Amino acid sequence: MKYRSLALLSALVLSAGLAACSSSGGTSDGAGDGRTALDVWLMRDSVSAQFQKEFETGFEKAHPDIDLRIQIQEWEGIGEKVTAALAGNDAPDVIEVGNTQVAQYAQSGGLTDFSDRVGELGGGDWLEGLAEPGSYEGKQYGIPYYAANRVVIHRTDLFEKAGIDATRIRTREQWIAATRKLDGGGTQGIYLPGQNWYVLSGFVWDEGGDLAVKSGGGWKGGLDSPGALRAMDFYRQLQALGKGPKDSDEAQPPQAEVMAKGQVAQIIAVPGGAKVVEEKNPELKGKLGFFPIPGKTADRPGAVFTGGSDLVVPAVAAHQEEAFALIRELTGDAWQKKLAVAMSYVPNKTTLAGAVADDPGTAAMAAGAANGHATPNTPQWAAVEAKNPIKEYMTAVLTGEDAGSAAAEASRTITETLGSDS
Amino acid sequence: MSTPRPRPPARRTLRRLPLNAAAALTVVVCLFPVYWMVTTAFKPSTDIQSYDPRLVPGAWTFEHFRKAVGADGFALFWRNSILVTLSAVLLALLVALGAAYAVARMRWRGRRQFMLAVFVAQMAPWESLIIPIYIISRDTGMLDRLVTLTLIYFMITLPFTVVVLRGFIAGIPPELEEAAQVDGCTRAGAFRRVAFPLLAPGLMATSLFGFITAWNEFTYANFLIIKQQDSRTLPVWLSSFQSTFGTDWGATMAASTLFALPALIVFLALQRHVTAGLASGGVKG
Amino acid sequence: MSTVRERSVPRGAAGRGTLWPYLLIAPAVLGMLYLLLYPLARAVLISLQDFRLRQLVLGDADFVGLRNYRTLLGDPEFWEVVRRTFVFMAVEVVAIMVLSTLVALMTERLGRVARTVVLSSLVLVWAVPVVAATTVFQWLFHSEFGIVNKVLTGLGFASYEGYPWFAHGAAASGIVVVLIVWQSVPFAAITLYSALVTVPAELYESARMDGAGAARVFRSVTFPLIRPIFMLVLSLEVIWTFKAFVQIWVMTRGGPGEATTILPVYAVQTALARQRYDLGSAASMLTVLLMSGVLVLYFRQLFRQEGEQP
Repeated sequence: MKYRSLALLSALVLSAGLAACSSSGGTSDGAGDGRTALDVWLMRDSVSAQFQKEFETGFEKAHPDIDLRIQIQEWEGIGEKVTAALAGNDAPDVIEVGNTQVAQYAQSGGLTDFSDRVGELGGGDWLEGLAEPGSYEGKQYGIPYYAANRVVIHRTDLFEKAGIDATRIRTREQWIAATRKLDGGGTQGIYLPGQNWYVLSGFVWDEGGDLAVKSGGGWKGGLDSPGALRAMDFYRQLQALGKGPKDSDEAQPPQAEVMAKGQVAQIIAVPGGAKVVEEKNPELKGKLGFFPIPGKTADRPGAVFTGGSDLVVPAVAAHQEEAFALIRELTGDAWQKKLAVAMSYVPNKTTLAGAVADDPGTAAMAAGAANGHATPNTPQWAAVEAKNPIKEYMTAVLTGEDAGSAAAEASRTITETLGSDS
Repeated sequence: MSTPRPRPPARRTLRRLPLNAAAALTVVVCLFPVYWMVTTAFKPSTDIQSYDPRLVPGAWTFEHFRKAVGADGFALFWRNSILVTLSAVLLALLVALGAAYAVARMRWRGRRQFMLAVFVAQMAPWESLIIPIYIISRDTGMLDRLVTLTLIYFMITLPFTVVVLRGFIAGIPPELEEAAQVDGCTRAGAFRRVAFPLLAPGLMATSLFGFITAWNEFTYANFLIIKQQDSRTLPVWLSSFQSTFGTDWGATMAASTLFALPALIVFLALQRHVTAGLASGGVKG
Repeated sequence: MSTVRERSVPRGAAGRGTLWPYLLIAPAVLGMLYLLLYPLARAVLISLQDFRLRQLVLGDADFVGLRNYRTLLGDPEFWEVVRRTFVFMAVEVVAIMVLSTLVALMTERLGRVARTVVLSSLVLVWAVPVVAATTVFQWLFHSEFGIVNKVLTGLGFASYEGYPWFAHGAAASGIVVVLIVWQSVPFAAITLYSALVTVPAELYESARMDGAGAARVFRSVTFPLIRPIFMLVLSLEVIWTFKAFVQIWVMTRGGPGEATTILPVYAVQTALARQRYDLGSAASMLTVLLMSGVLVLYFRQLFRQEGEQP
């Protein structure tokens, strides 16, 4: 009687399922030993497993009454997840959030305001590119955690073979000339996918333009300004000196893997990318070098987008004081120096830059960071990135469409998205 | 198929050639992307998305499978997914069988309205119900619990299951059951002995559908399981192979292969059930 | 509920115990009320409010009447999305139904081994996680690394060297349609096949005895018998292709431009990405209304059939 066994099976599975659910629900809170359980969300790859362990041990030693529970979150679907956490009634106590994302969460009223404790955290020395996006309407919600920006990662062996001295590339003209010399004969001068809009943003800032500018009470897309058009033209010239796909970004496929497997002389990435290249292709160990993205003139490196993270505390978090204690430690000088060295990050304070001077990648990054910029500081900017008309604009131009009209259209989309009042 | 005359076997084979060729073509078209997924899972990282894509991998590796199986929580998330999916599907089958029988075999006021409601339920915009469902779960303390996911997956699959089962039950001549009842069976007994075996293909199709739908679901699993990392399901876990430097596609494809396997196993298991049911139940009679 | 007057008690046992049908549907009804209707009502409420991230976090949303609906209906872009949704749906449904009927008919005629192979490969397609399948399609058509471009270039179409499929609206739409059809055919084919095997073999035999050709056997014997299931599959495919979301979201996010933005993609873009939950809800409600419009014909047929049935 097959159906009888089926029914029995279903009853079994159902009861097992319900039992499992109720039991897992029961273990959700409290460490069980009188300590306060502090839930912290960090993003994947934001800390190494080793650093995480070291920090956990160190922190719990200093705060014996806290049971620190760090959860590593995935990038996919993180926006919805943070939203769900902020709106829930059992949120984690501290969350790492991309610096450009803080404003929208702050606007929702779901974050704790730390304005009156900035001094306590040494906020005077914070990197502008982290502190500014972490604030909303004059109040500080996001506490700067770490920063990273893009540099040029290059193959020293290929540069040598072509007779190029990487340290002497200081201007765009020199950069283009060198890349042209490298390109060809099975070697790609540079692998630059068509939709790396962070790189384009840097070129735009170099030309004095911006992605969007404040006009009157609102924002206006700025891709169609003469400067931004010149930036796109330069991007086009550079992109042509390799086989970067015109219709995808640096993650599809991961550009570090492309560099690992092919004859690619340069990519533009955060220095940590070099570790991935070496991991995927150990033969390239010791053959990778770094230099800041060249600027228009030799006296100033190219502008870069300051990426990075802030730490925020949900307003509904149960352990506000403990959360602050964690933030003070993790963003404090001692752990920041260790983190920067372990992960090749720019520390959150300008005064700590010396900590990473020994690492060539981080040093190149820190040099570029001096000319760091942020995306327009409006809660709506996250909505622009979600659909990203900039990427489509870049593909359109690279595949031969008229830059002027494509730029005008992309700018219009940005204006509309930023203007959908908040 | 026009001539009723029996043909010599050789000609028959020849005549079947186009048919088998069509079958082969179907299989190839179906399986090529699947093949690509599986071989990617076996390719060394350097050969994935290379400038020189090849039909047959140049080198083979188990590295990605090792990585996928060895990843944190693989067994746990696997168990969660199985629990949630099977519970949801079986619950839906149980509930739907009753409802479908009532609709197909009985006459009662409100039947049409009920059928209409079930059909309209098919159109539910689940992508947009996520916010209200989130709010309701939050206010009733049901966030972070697998049972919430189970209920949602049950509801996503239920209307479909009712509709299809109704079609299958309606397709079985009631005379068969009536005959059994005359032979002394109760009504339930008649249904069980006579109609149920005939329903096997329908049950197969519907349960498989439910299984795959629930097995694949990402959005709700991501949104409703917030703090309880131990309650995550496989689709959410799949995304853990993405890093800041891109996605580990080898491991993702290995995981996806392992992920598609249960559905195939469920099918093969049910298919034997179906064949057995057909043989013993005497469908052709 | 229980005191239902049985009008003309039909033949058979159906008249026995008027409470039974209600007991049998009770769990389904309760489930639909709490798990579907209630959230749906909340969604309707949201679509009538000013509801964004702030209101989700803090509560206290303002009632704004039909403002969200007016905003949508007054937006030409919305109407363009509606038109596109219908075009996608029509193309996909026709392709799915034709292909799956052919596959089902073919499968029924195959030998046991071949049949199992075909059915298994159909199931395998169906079982592949949507995200994995979508990614594989992305790779196959990748401009620099994809095998499609390599094969096309190898065949002498030099213009496909590095051809960016996802940069062109028409090409990207084509790939999306192929992917959705590829993923939808297995369900339709397996269900139709399940229906075909319940057709008594004698009917074929006698039809053939009468000298009917294959096409005629299909038209006059097979199709009428599987018609209910065929219509069912057809209407389900209408619903599903109308609602196709994950594939498009993962593959193109509705781009390039708006080329693959159909209603559900539009709704999610509005709700989750722009955090206009109110507008997103309104868009979904309109989607449901439009879909019901398409299916009105099917409902009428369903009712007629219900009426005829003993």
